[in-house]
Amino acid sequence: MDRLSSELAATYLRPRKTPSTACSGCGLGANHKIILQAVSELGLQVSDVVWGTSIGCAGRQTFATWKGDGFAGTHGRVYAIARGLRLALPAEIKLILTVGDGDAFGIGLNHLLHAARCNADMTVIVNDNLGYQSTGGQFGWTTPAGSRTDSSPYGMFEPGFMGGGLDIMNILKGAGATFLARHIARDGQAAVENMKRAILNRGFSLVHMPYPCPTNFGSTNLGTRTPVTIYRWIVERSAPLGQETADTLWATGVYLDASNSRPEFSEQVREKGQQIRRTQAA
Amino acid sequence: MKERVELVASGFGGQGVVRLGQILGQAAVKQGLHVTMLKSHGTEMRGGYVRSQVVMSPKLIDSPICESPDYFIALSLAAYKRFRDTVPPSGVILYDPAFVDALDAGLACRQLAVPAKQLSVERFNRPILANTIILGALSRHLALLDKELLLESLLAIIPKFQAENRQAFQAGYDCVH
Amino acid sequence: MKRFLETGNFAVTEGAILAGCRFFAGYPITPATEIAESMSRRLPQVGGIYVQAEDECAAMHLCIGGALGGYKAMTATSGPGYILYADPYGWAIGCETPLVILNSGRVGPVSGITGAPGQGEFYLTRYPTQGGNFETICLAPNSAQEAMAMTVEAFYLSERFRTPVTVLADQLITDGFEDISVPGNEGEMKEMGFRIWPRQIHPGPLFYPATDEIDIPPVQLGHNTGALCSDWTPTEEGYDTEEVENHHRHAFRLIYKIRNHRDLISHRCQKSFLDDDPELIVVSFGTPSRVVNTAVAKARGRGQRIGSLRLINLWPFPDELFTRKAIYLVVELNWDGQLVREVQRAAPKDSAVHFLGTCGDLPTQADLEESFNKLLANQPLTRKGWTLEAW
Ligand SMILES: Cc1ncc(C[n+]2csc(CCOP(=O)(O)OP(=O)(O)O)c2C)c(N)n1
Ligand code: SF4
Repeated sequence: MDRLSSELAATYLRPRKTPSTACSGCGLGANHKIILQAVSELGLQVSDVVWGTSIGCAGRQTFATWKGDGFAGTHGRVYAIARGLRLALPAEIKLILTVGDGDAFGIGLNHLLHAARCNADMTVIVNDNLGYQSTGGQFGWTTPAGSRTDSSPYGMFEPGFMGGGLDIMNILKGAGATFLARHIARDGQAAVENMKRAILNRGFSLVHMPYPCPTNFGSTNLGTRTPVTIYRWIVERSAPLGQETADTLWATGVYLDASNSRPEFSEQVREKGQQIRRTQAA
Repeated sequence: MKERVELVASGFGGQGVVRLGQILGQAAVKQGLHVTMLKSHGTEMRGGYVRSQVVMSPKLIDSPICESPDYFIALSLAAYKRFRDTVPPSGVILYDPAFVDALDAGLACRQLAVPAKQLSVERFNRPILANTIILGALSRHLALLDKELLLESLLAIIPKFQAENRQAFQAGYDCVH
Repeated sequence: MKRFLETGNFAVTEGAILAGCRFFAGYPITPATEIAESMSRRLPQVGGIYVQAEDECAAMHLCIGGALGGYKAMTATSGPGYILYADPYGWAIGCETPLVILNSGRVGPVSGITGAPGQGEFYLTRYPTQGGNFETICLAPNSAQEAMAMTVEAFYLSERFRTPVTVLADQLITDGFEDISVPGNEGEMKEMGFRIWPRQIHPGPLFYPATDEIDIPPVQLGHNTGALCSDWTPTEEGYDTEEVENHHRHAFRLIYKIRNHRDLISHRCQKSFLDDDPELIVVSFGTPSRVVNTAVAKARGRGQRIGSLRLINLWPFPDELFTRKAIYLVVELNWDGQLVREVQRAAPKDSAVHFLGTCGDLPTQADLEESFNKLLANQPLTRKGWTLEAW
């Protein structure tokens, strides 16, 4: 599951960046594979996609893996770069962003919400390792309540965006996103299918993908670095939407599919511009 | 003729002081002169006045600041008090006695009353024409600018009530000597 | 050629459009708001894109996105927004993205006084971001007409040098009205000295060559060239690297592509009476220089041996203009003295360098005349500037 098929890798990835430099047992690779599988099943070519990333593990480990054009923003800003780029690129080119939870839901949240607000066509995959991991394991805004991390040695007691009746998806929905889903890589083909729907949506899509970090979250909060054990811990706390129990932290599946229900940002800007040009002399 | 002419217009917000400067500036541009115009506002914060500083010259203008204005149009007492001392002996103050009711007799410059507010109401029943009257009065003294060009840019900037504006401009011209 | 009585904001907008700018992202702030407003009106008319951003940090990032997609892009702000550019400014320097930034200086620190001119960002235009290891380009016009010209020039330089260029103006330039001539065709643009450099696409694979070369097309995305750009130190291909050797090459490129081609930039200045053996040289930039020029011309009329050096290119700093031994008086719109420090460094070692500061209002002729008289009589300045150090 975690290993990329050599065929996928040969088609889409730069040899220089494979294998990745992530810690052994890191769940990021499995998420990455789900995305590439979806890209492949959609029949997209290398030239069809421009790939953006954030910093942190989620960003840096995926930067420059894509064979085609790629970019990375400073912490939290990639959504604003992508929004500008969306206005400049042809509509056929897909924008796929792989980013971290701290990047998207902390420092970059304002930019993320504004990308959702204007329904800019991009697919943001938030690879959620349940905190700030590349800086050594501090709690983030989706870290489960009570978790012990290096910056919550007594257990995380302030509320995050997940749990206690909150779900970051509600905020994104309210902001205007048109496709929202959550999956763990263990969802396999179901995750691939919904990733495809996210990419196909001509508008702002976000897929939230919690994944295990053995090095920090696993070892500090769960007392184990064994990927299988951490995966089990995550699987036990996820359930398909509608089948949640009291212990469910991550409801998986399609949270919102309003694909193509709102005007897409760059199309709207372009159309309005043409209309203004027709009616107004310079 | 002086090469560089400085003009300050100042009054309350809403009196059209900035517009007045713009009309003058436009006329000067039409005449092929160089022009600068600074507007200061933020009325309450900065001493309760609005001010336009206009500099006109056939040469490129260095300082856009009117440190010793050749013409000062005073449309409020506060403005008059604040800037009257900057006017050199060769300068002219045009003031509306409806607002400036306490003159400083000690000034060396000429001080000419332009009863713009009164005329605009009594003759035209349109207080909005007061600035046109002021401009008419100014055009009598401002040798640098062509009277017709000034009227033309006034009519271009204020397209409403063209006939009345022409009359008011002439009335202003006639009321000062 | 059309002549208008218009603001510097208008001049900057029209200059940008003449230079080929078709992408503007901004955020409202006095006294640069009108640029955003006029861009929102003008750009759609010429096939361009205007976006209002959620903040200045986003505004410049949006411009980066626009530039990566092929647009000549610009943003405009004042001090409180300029500081929020720090993050994207660094990104654009590192990835060598051509962009133009207009900063209209007002009174600081922070929000300070919104509707009055200041010059508090002289050094910030040299260090607009963290990390060091770069050189910047900054042009400072002193009139609306020149703001138009320098906006055009900033686009030209940003393309050739592949770097963001700041046009540093002030509130009087952007808000003030002046007669402005706008060229109507290429011939008239040439006549006015406007230079245009077209956007091209880098074919790869070496996007960041380890040389000081200029005139290399910037990285653009969406052409399947395998282009890479990021906030990490790049290899020549654009891969993120932790190799110090790579960093060394990249840093030297960022510094020396500009330093080694200063002749393209640093000739821009205005000298008045400098060849006439001045005892005292008054140094300034931006709007204060206009008062200085008037005062210096008057002083010459009185027979005082004074010259004026008005800087237009601020960075890289034109050291070569400071070869003459003289008394220097640096006039700035701040009380702390910024340009003066650079003049102290660049002037011949045995020159006396003095400072006359003010902020919010321009210095008056009387201020300047008094300072000239004092300095020529070998007396210390008593009224302003360094005397504040007594505090
Ligand atoms: C402005 C800024 N602040 C802080 C950092 C330090 N930093 C680097 S990676 C990172 C963690 C990012 O967390 P997340 O986005 O969740 O990614 P993860 O490493 O957990 O995959 C931080 C805080 C930075 N690079 N820039
Ligand atoms: S620190 Fe955690 S998230 Fe980052 S690469 Fe290692 S295992 Fe993966």
